[in-house]
Amino acid sequence: MEEKKKILIIDDEKGFTSMLQLNLESIGEYEVRVENRAEKALEIALQFQPDIILLDVIMPNVEGPDVANIIHTNEGLKDIPIIFLTATVTKDEVDAQNGKIGGHTFVAKPSSLSDLTTSIKRNLLPAF
Amino acid sequence: MADETFTDFTQPLKVLVVEDSNIDRRILESMLQEKEEYSALLKVADSLAKTLQLFDEFEFDVVILDLNLPDSQGEETLFKLTAKNPKIAVVVNTGAYEDRVGLKTLSMGAQDFLVKGKYTAYLLNKVLHYAVERKRFELKLKDAYEKLKETQSQLIHAEKMKVIGALASGVAHEVKNPLATILYGITYLSEVLDPKDEKLQTVLRNIKDASGRADRIITDLLDFARLRQLKKEKQNINDAIEKTLGLIKHELDRKHIQMEKRLSKDLAAVEIDANKIEQVLVNLMLNAINAMERDGRLTVTSAAVELSEDLHEIPDLHRRHFKPNDRVVRVTVEDTGGGIPAGELDKIFEPFFTTRRAEGGLGLGLSVSRNIMEIHEGSISIENKKEGGAQAVLHFKI
Repeated sequence: MEEKKKILIIDDEKGFTSMLQLNLESIGEYEVRVENRAEKALEIALQFQPDIILLDVIMPNVEGPDVANIIHTNEGLKDIPIIFLTATVTKDEVDAQNGKIGGHTFVAKPSSLSDLTTSIKRNLLPAF
Repeated sequence: MADETFTDFTQPLKVLVVEDSNIDRRILESMLQEKEEYSALLKVADSLAKTLQLFDEFEFDVVILDLNLPDSQGEETLFKLTAKNPKIAVVVNTGAYEDRVGLKTLSMGAQDFLVKGKYTAYLLNKVLHYAVERKRFELKLKDAYEKLKETQSQLIHAEKMKVIGALASGVAHEVKNPLATILYGITYLSEVLDPKDEKLQTVLRNIKDASGRADRIITDLLDFARLRQLKKEKQNINDAIEKTLGLIKHELDRKHIQMEKRLSKDLAAVEIDANKIEQVLVNLMLNAINAMERDGRLTVTSAAVELSEDLHEIPDLHRRHFKPNDRVVRVTVEDTGGGIPAGELDKIFEPFFTTRRAEGGLGLGLSVSRNIMEIHEGSISIENKKEGGAQAVLHFKI
């Protein structure tokens, strides 16, 4: 059996992250870790070593783009793909730009689970 | 700049004398011919009909007007004359016993009045020049006032949109997070709940429909709050109309509404964001359908037309995008419903104004449509038709 891909979700909305975790885990292909405190993102990422990170944009204390910056300037984490999962964009906007806005990958909130998993699969690093 | 502000009073005027009394007319004529600089053009008329005819043939600076003519009397004469030629200066020539009449004409649009037998050629010339000058300033003032009103209405609109936009996008963002939670909750439950349990499936479906509706409302709100950059392409407006008619066909059928298409075959291409314009057309057509009972008729027309000299068909808000006599593409959507109540006509474009609150109307359709037309540098207006029903009109620059 192929090893499960590890997804780290960083989002302060607890209800949302628990629903998302349930859904992703029930697919059976992913191991999911949730962190609701953005300021803990680096610590958890170093510990969990995810294959991909789903990151909210507007959070208290530290905002998504800052979290992304911290992670991507860390030598051990710099290649991990990040998907911004955020209500600051709409599905139309994301679709219109083929999932990328300003060079970053976006998925709108709310989006269907299949839209999200399509983006996850597309952005996961190819296995070596 | 000098000629903008100061009039050269030594310039002779182009004068029309309207007087049915031969004696009075001759007196005026001889006064105006006394010196060369008094008049550059001098014509006479002894009736209103003749006066209006001369307006078509010559251009005058000022009219000396006797109010009582064989074919028109009193104030009526002044009204008919200024209606035909709103830009001309008028000096009313009254009898000595009528000086109150003279004063009254000043409040009815005359620039000055003369009392017969009480003036000299020198005084007459001065009065005429001042009248022309006053008229010129009056027109300039009117023009400036119109422009001011137009700018003011644009500013108020822009400011209102800014405030509502900020509010709407704040609310939308806050609502989307819990909505996303609900939607993923439903996705999960759909997977794990017994598909044969009909009650559970009904509950699930209802929640799903409700949150889907909430999501659409939020999307509408955001659309309204920030109209994104347009993706404009040159195309025939008829394509957007046909596509929209396809989208609303179901509604037409459901209410047994007849549809009449009058689409011009040779339209110049217009530069539009087709998605946005289709959104406008859907809004207008659904409004029209909702306004009608069973068996009504929806008429959609497209035509190439020339705008008027004064652009009266373009609302203030959009007027700066057009020039007099511009060639444009006009699209109209007409219904045979009850029309819009007079008290609501000036509110229908207001955000959140709706007559269908009970049916879930958010009151953003026309407001969004107006924004879309505005950023297309086009125009939108809605009016009641004389024969009943309402008509929405769009103008697109070619």
